[in-house]
Amino acid sequence: MRSFIKKDIFLFLRDRKELLVALLLPIVIIFVLNLAFDGLFDSDEEAIIDLHLAVVNQDDQENVTELLQEKLIEEGSFDEVEAAAVAEQASYAGPVEALSNFLESEDLQDWVTVHHLDEAEAIGQVEQGEIDGILVIPNGFTIESLYAALTGESPTVSLSYKMEEETTNNGTIYDIINGFIDDLNYQFAMQQIAGSNEVEVVQPQGGVEQLGEGETFTMSQYFTLAMGILFALFLSITVAAKTGEEIRQQVFDRILVTDSRPMLFLIGKMVSTFILAWLQISIVFVLAHLILDVFPGRAVDFWLGVAVITFLFALAVAGLAAVFTSIALQMHNVDAANGVFNVVAMVLAVLGGNFVPIYIFPDWMQKVSEWTPNGLTLSMLIEWLQYEQVSSLIMPSLMLIGFFVLCALIGLAMYPKRGGAK
Amino acid sequence: MLETINVSKSFKGKKAVQDVNLYLDKGESVGLLGPNGAGKSTTISMISTLIKPTSGEIKLNGVNTVNKPRDIRKVLGVVPQELALYQELSAYENLKFFGSIYKLKGKELEDSIQYALEIVGLKDRQKDLVKTFSGGMKRRVNIAAALLHKPQILILDEPTVGIDPQSRNHILETVRSLNETDGTTILYTSHYMEEVEQLCDRVYIMDHGEVIAAGSKAELLSILSSEDTIKLELSMIDENFVEKVKMLEGVRKVEAASSQLKIISKKGSNLISELVYLADSHQIQLLNYQTETPSLEDVFLHLTGRTLRD
Repeated sequence: MRSFIKKDIFLFLRDRKELLVALLLPIVIIFVLNLAFDGLFDSDEEAIIDLHLAVVNQDDQENVTELLQEKLIEEGSFDEVEAAAVAEQASYAGPVEALSNFLESEDLQDWVTVHHLDEAEAIGQVEQGEIDGILVIPNGFTIESLYAALTGESPTVSLSYKMEEETTNNGTIYDIINGFIDDLNYQFAMQQIAGSNEVEVVQPQGGVEQLGEGETFTMSQYFTLAMGILFALFLSITVAAKTGEEIRQQVFDRILVTDSRPMLFLIGKMVSTFILAWLQISIVFVLAHLILDVFPGRAVDFWLGVAVITFLFALAVAGLAAVFTSIALQMHNVDAANGVFNVVAMVLAVLGGNFVPIYIFPDWMQKVSEWTPNGLTLSMLIEWLQYEQVSSLIMPSLMLIGFFVLCALIGLAMYPKRGGAK
Repeated sequence: MLETINVSKSFKGKKAVQDVNLYLDKGESVGLLGPNGAGKSTTISMISTLIKPTSGEIKLNGVNTVNKPRDIRKVLGVVPQELALYQELSAYENLKFFGSIYKLKGKELEDSIQYALEIVGLKDRQKDLVKTFSGGMKRRVNIAAALLHKPQILILDEPTVGIDPQSRNHILETVRSLNETDGTTILYTSHYMEEVEQLCDRVYIMDHGEVIAAGSKAELLSILSSEDTIKLELSMIDENFVEKVKMLEGVRKVEAASSQLKIISKKGSNLISELVYLADSHQIQLLNYQTETPSLEDVFLHLTGRTLRD
């Protein structure tokens, strides 16, 4: 077994053309794409940032002082005089006004356009892509947030931010709103109102998604991940093509007459592909990082996670190589077989978002993408890049392992018996 | 030691090999002669267990190898017609790989590699990549890879195709030495008649998937004992002239090539005067006249009506 693995690794490493394609080409492409997209964003930065935010104000701000006073007496154990004085003072804080002033301030108005809409109208415009996100100010927000600030209790209502899909624009708006909440807390503190404000952005409900607290990813990170995965995927074809050479040159026959178990040939291919794919993708990521600083400030945990994900992807590539190798051994025309493998890999690459970002695809294609090993790996890596949550990797990891097992079984089942290879 | 009994092989209903009977005694050197497509490689593939015969038996020391192939694989070395080597690996790395899949390890493997390299005379080039070798050197590594496990029977399928005379001689000497010094049983296929004549004790001649003649060299030549071979060198060759020669009494076969004419005739036909007359009447100058001792090539021509390279 070790001889087969060593032989395949030697053959790959001695093939300068393959080495250049596997290691240098992805780096060059990442570098070129990085330059191209950097230039694009640099020149259009001012024009591109034009955020549209719908503010849906459901808060009834009539008689705030009286209602707050009543609430303080009934729920906060304030006496009447104290409640009246505090409510009067607090009503000047006006959190909704503060929010409106903040969003329409000079600093923001150049690049954030605020639309005051009702909820249905706002949702309609989000769906049509005219609005980037909706900020809902729920009914009772003013009284609840002032009451919470005065008593130190948690608010029962809070701002909610909704959006149709995860985009860079949405991330920016989300950051703005968070900035406002921090600002509001600061103002309450400065007014020396007892307790702390607990206003927070809550998870959205229903069919609209919310941007979590993850980091956004850059185009150079996306292309680094996509290219690393793409070129590792193509290793499965390289291995199958080398099998074709072995058949053509009768080396495969020579192996068969030695009384070694024919299956070792296939297992050797799988193991060597796994090692090469893992090495290749790791080298591409590390080189891209060293040359272009693609993943700045990342800790060891991040790199460990990347190593685990790429390990699983390398397994999937090894499985694919097993299927391709068995097919190559069954086909009369090795060149035709290679052509078919290339088409399969290209389809996987397109569906998996290795050429263009997945999120520009329609929904159904995004769903299909997650069923390709490369698409699944890409979304795992992006998620890891943003959140570094181990729990989110479990399911896709099992899927990658499942893909490997399935492919390995298919490869073994299709592997020709002695004399069956063409 | 090894015998095939009525071995046949069909591919998609078409018979590639039909009822082949041959045997190899221990220490013998046997030739398998035939033109391209005669069925030699298919026969070798069946003996080396790469493909199963459609019918018939292949026996090693009396045991049928068709259903029990492992025994023959252990004692058989096969040198395929193609250069079955990894071009990107060195000679040493190739031999190490093939040796290890013969389950050789450690010192035994190392000794076997050096033994095989010594035999083919490539010890000093063992670290070089095979792709940097000449055609002849590649052929020698191809042979070395079949010798690692010191096989009792060595099958060589056209081992000298497309190489220079020096390498060819080296290979022939190697095969002879393996047979005579090491006692290795040899099955040597070729369409170079002189190689088989030089190396083999017995010869099988195959054509169209069948063995059409078998025996020692003397036995095969005796087929032509009632015939003479005449070689003419002419100033030119004329089709009419060749046709007229064919019609001469006693002439059995005529083969024309550039300015030469090979005539197989009934012994004692004494054609010289008639050939001179014919040449003169066709205004062809007769430059040389030679009566030859028949060769295996002549036997093949006699049996099949064509040359080995047709």
